[in-house]
Amino acid sequence: MDPVLYNKIVSIGIYGSAIGLILIGLYAVLVKKHLTKIVIGLSIIDSGIHLLFIAVGFIKGGTAPIFSPKGIELVNQGTAMVDPVPQALVLTAIVIGFGVTAVALSLVIRLYRHQHTAKIDHIKSLKW
Amino acid sequence: MVISPVHYIALPLLAAFLIPLFAKINKELVRIIPGLVLAYLSAVSIVLMQKVVNTGQPVIETLAGWQAPWGINLVFSAFTGFLATLMTFMALLIWIYSYRFKKIDSEPAMKYYILFMMLVTGSTGIVLTGDIFNMFVFMEITAIAAYSLTAFYRDRDGAEAGFKYLLIGSFASAFVLLAILLLYTQVGTLNMAQIAERMHTVPTGMKITILVLFVTGLGIEAEMFPLNGWAPDAYSQSPGPVGATFAALVVKAGVYSLIRVIFTLFDIHGAFDFLVIMGIITLVISEFAAMKQTNLKRMLAYSSIGQMGFVLIAFGIGTKEAVFGALFLMFNHAVIKGLLFMSGSYLVYNTPSKDIKDMAGIGRKFPFMTFFFALGAFAIVGLPPFAGFWSKLYILLAAADEAMLGLVAIILMVSIVEIVYYFRVVAKLYWGKPTDNEVYHKPTFGGYISMTILAGVILLVGFYPDVITGFIDRAADTLLDKGEYISNVLPKVQELVNM
Repeated sequence: MDPVLYNKIVSIGIYGSAIGLILIGLYAVLVKKHLTKIVIGLSIIDSGIHLLFIAVGFIKGGTAPIFSPKGIELVNQGTAMVDPVPQALVLTAIVIGFGVTAVALSLVIRLYRHQHTAKIDHIKSLKW
Repeated sequence: MVISPVHYIALPLLAAFLIPLFAKINKELVRIIPGLVLAYLSAVSIVLMQKVVNTGQPVIETLAGWQAPWGINLVFSAFTGFLATLMTFMALLIWIYSYRFKKIDSEPAMKYYILFMMLVTGSTGIVLTGDIFNMFVFMEITAIAAYSLTAFYRDRDGAEAGFKYLLIGSFASAFVLLAILLLYTQVGTLNMAQIAERMHTVPTGMKITILVLFVTGLGIEAEMFPLNGWAPDAYSQSPGPVGATFAALVVKAGVYSLIRVIFTLFDIHGAFDFLVIMGIITLVISEFAAMKQTNLKRMLAYSSIGQMGFVLIAFGIGTKEAVFGALFLMFNHAVIKGLLFMSGSYLVYNTPSKDIKDMAGIGRKFPFMTFFFALGAFAIVGLPPFAGFWSKLYILLAAADEAMLGLVAIILMVSIVEIVYYFRVVAKLYWGKPTDNEVYHKPTFGGYISMTILAGVILLVGFYPDVITGFIDRAADTLLDKGEYISNVLPKVQELVNM
């Protein structure tokens, strides 16, 4: 296949799926009534953003950004290096997302224990 | 040991995670250690502030030996230092207040202090860091601690308030993360000084997209309308000292990040008008919402949102005088709202419900608490001998200077609303017909100490505003001088560019 076309398809695929994930997550958060599903939706939004991060840093055919003899040799030959910053960021973001999801699920469990339902329609004792 | 800004982050975080170990040695250490850390940090603040004032230069700490554009740096300038000092002192006072606080002692105190120390780390970190992604990380540390503290009481409403806050907060973090990603693709750096320097290369459409994402995300933390649905629930369901912490630390950090992004990173002039408009909407709606509240803590929460709207208006006017007034108001709000939440939560605990109508005549049983509450109420609406008067005056003068007379009219009109609902409560506390409710919780000794200090500060600043205006003046200068921020943070790179 033509490499230019191939690259285009791959990048559209990656960016498209990242944005698709964000949209799916938004749909789940905004439309679903079950608390656990809302938490899953938040988690999916996070995953979409993480994928976007990785996609931004990716260069096709680029080498790993490691300071090793082989890496230096490759860079000297003109091979591009993948940007390491988004990868470092995404690791941090994943850990944070994990923490938030854990707190969210613990709150869902507590609400369920008090309320005996996890439907968001029933949770409305606090209001403006 | 060399005094450096990095202590603000290292020590509370270390203390937070060592608290479970200290609990094994002695239960009392759990309560004492956070106080020691905060007292030390207050001393650090004084030393660093003195250094900044004497030299006129910010104290900049590069972490792990990596120079500014590559590594993360902490900037303790007159502006960020002022806020960090304010936060540290407020945290110390809140610690004194919450020492032996009854309702926290009924839950495991260890949990409270761990989360409290994380909250302090996060919010001072947001203010001090010079790296945009690092700011996001601190924002999340603050947020996770804040969600958990909101849901600290194991009751149903606490969990609901916490979940609401978490839902909105997760959206905030997603928006900010997207904004940081887009910004990184445009400028290829995460250092805020370097971003500010390279911002002019970004196309306008992209700039606006990024700014909208930032304002949405950070506006949630800064209680900007209509993104502040979490605030009344979180304030009213969390323990008393936590309400004060939200007002003094979390929201201040949120406003700081919004201001830093708009003032230093972006220089779109329309953004300032936008701030004024959002500030007005926030102010008007929340003050009217506060008026119809029957629950005391919710009323205080709406008043808090209104004050933040006021701060946004003042920052949006954008002149030196207005920024001065805004910073003064941030200081006043932290101190006065701290006092209001501290005294208000004892009033709430001694009534069967949290409703204002059940508090009628409580002033006779609780002369001290009610006096402190009344003093705070008078100060926050801006009566002359108190601190709140000066900040309101400066902002009104700044608005009048810019010929925004409509704005002056709106602020004065909203002030009347504010006076009505605060004085209604104070009048009810003193002259209401007392119900025969008993005194359940006597305030702790620490509670009296911290409230007396705060009341003293309000009166001192009210009578002699000069004690604080020097610092605020420098802080306003530092915030507005973007070029100096860049050249201070990036001296080496600047030299390379000039060569």
